[in-house]
Amino acid sequence: MKGKIVSIHSFRGGTGKSNTTANLAAQVALAGKRVGVVDTDIQSPGIHVLFGLDENKMGKTINDFLHGKATIREIGFNIGENSSGADGRAKLAGMNLWLFPSSIRGREISQILKEGIDFNLLNEGLQSTIKEFDLDYLFIDTHPGLNEETLLSIATSDILIIILRPDNQDLQGTSVTVDIARSLDVPNLILMVNKALPKYDFAELQKEIEIKFEAPVAGILPLSFDIADNASNDLFSLSNPDHDWSKALRGVAQAILALE
Amino acid sequence: MSEDILHQLKNTLIFGGLTDEALADVAHKATKRRLSKGNILMRKGEEGDSLFLIHKGWMKIVTEDSKGGELIINRCGPGETIGEMALLDQGTRSATVIALEDSDVLELKKDVFEKILDERPDVSLSIIRSYSDRLRFSTTYIERAIDWAQKIAEGDYSFVEHTQPAMNKNASDDDKATQLLSAFFTMVNRVKEREEGLKQQLEKLTFEIDQARRKQEFEEITSTEFYAQLKEQARALRQKRHQG
Repeated sequence: MKGKIVSIHSFRGGTGKSNTTANLAAQVALAGKRVGVVDTDIQSPGIHVLFGLDENKMGKTINDFLHGKATIREIGFNIGENSSGADGRAKLAGMNLWLFPSSIRGREISQILKEGIDFNLLNEGLQSTIKEFDLDYLFIDTHPGLNEETLLSIATSDILIIILRPDNQDLQGTSVTVDIARSLDVPNLILMVNKALPKYDFAELQKEIEIKFEAPVAGILPLSFDIADNASNDLFSLSNPDHDWSKALRGVAQAILALE
Repeated sequence: MSEDILHQLKNTLIFGGLTDEALADVAHKATKRRLSKGNILMRKGEEGDSLFLIHKGWMKIVTEDSKGGELIINRCGPGETIGEMALLDQGTRSATVIALEDSDVLELKKDVFEKILDERPDVSLSIIRSYSDRLRFSTTYIERAIDWAQKIAEGDYSFVEHTQPAMNKNASDDDKATQLLSAFFTMVNRVKEREEGLKQQLEKLTFEIDQARRKQEFEEITSTEFYAQLKEQARALRQKRHQG
């Protein structure tokens, strides 16, 4: 099936969700696929920074589309043609990758939240995005937790990637998200562990989580100060391809590409 | 000159290839020196104008460590030669040599040594051959050490098992290359042990999911009208996509 919707979700904030989404989308684009990234984290958008989109130059946004003030075509920011400014991002030159940013303006944010998002409108928007840009994959960066707009993203996705840190709170919350995803008939569920302390036995951890949730763990990515210190706001897996984090991330990208 | 000294000369690297007659000639031109415990045979940095054959007793070869303290880099005993390098390459002494006990050494002065080389092509040739041998031996081991270092970098320690027994056979050989190899294999074994130790030290993370809480939270989310409607919309959407 062409045009898969891939939602990236986490139960709590701080799991590295936006960073992971941006890097996964970049890796899938590098594999020659046509990729879109939608920032539906309307409350706290941030993924545009990793793609080098200057907030002052941000044009029409998802918010405008939801209000009927812009077409999908107008929102798409072509990363493949605007990839300069950082060593990692420069590797995306000529790739088919578009970002559909969320507004960072406070008034517009609160307006959307007050009105609520309509499932059918969001879904039509995603489907027309896929069609207009002839996308193979459309990544959705969601807001953490299980609020209504996040449930909408989960409901519409073909692949749901849940990112969790290996601690009790995240594991408890993830168990509920896994149940919700099954209740909403999401066809493919992938778990990804991020910020794992290197002192843990990753193979054991993977086995234990897979048994407890009956879902595949596509990668265990180590906690790294190198990533925390990504001061240039570059795409880490492109600027540091030999880092253990980047290697594990490419494994998750492969898991996405392997799904039919 | 005693049979003892001749025997010792024959066992040295640079004079080992000489005939008995040539050896006797070398021994004849050497002078005997006696050192008391603590006497300094040579100092680091001095011009090297003679080589020594230890006849009796033990010496320590020392240099200074980074803090200025004495650092013993080797010990030498009966039958070993000291200082031949400086004699050949005309450099200064690379280390200080101190007698560890009352000792006897045989000294061969530089001019005497050079005279021997002038007069006796067989001695010259023998020395060149012995150095050439040593160089070839070192080069071979350096090449193998490079190969092993690459394997270690890749985490492949399998060569240790089939290489070490062959090396231990030569453990009595005092050659520096063998000492290097011995240190090399000790290092590899320690690295290997530490790596295996680290693997075993990895902690197992255990966690428990509160199933009652999981069920309660799931029900809280799914019992709303919004959810019921969403589930229905999602079902319809999937059916449509499946057909379309």
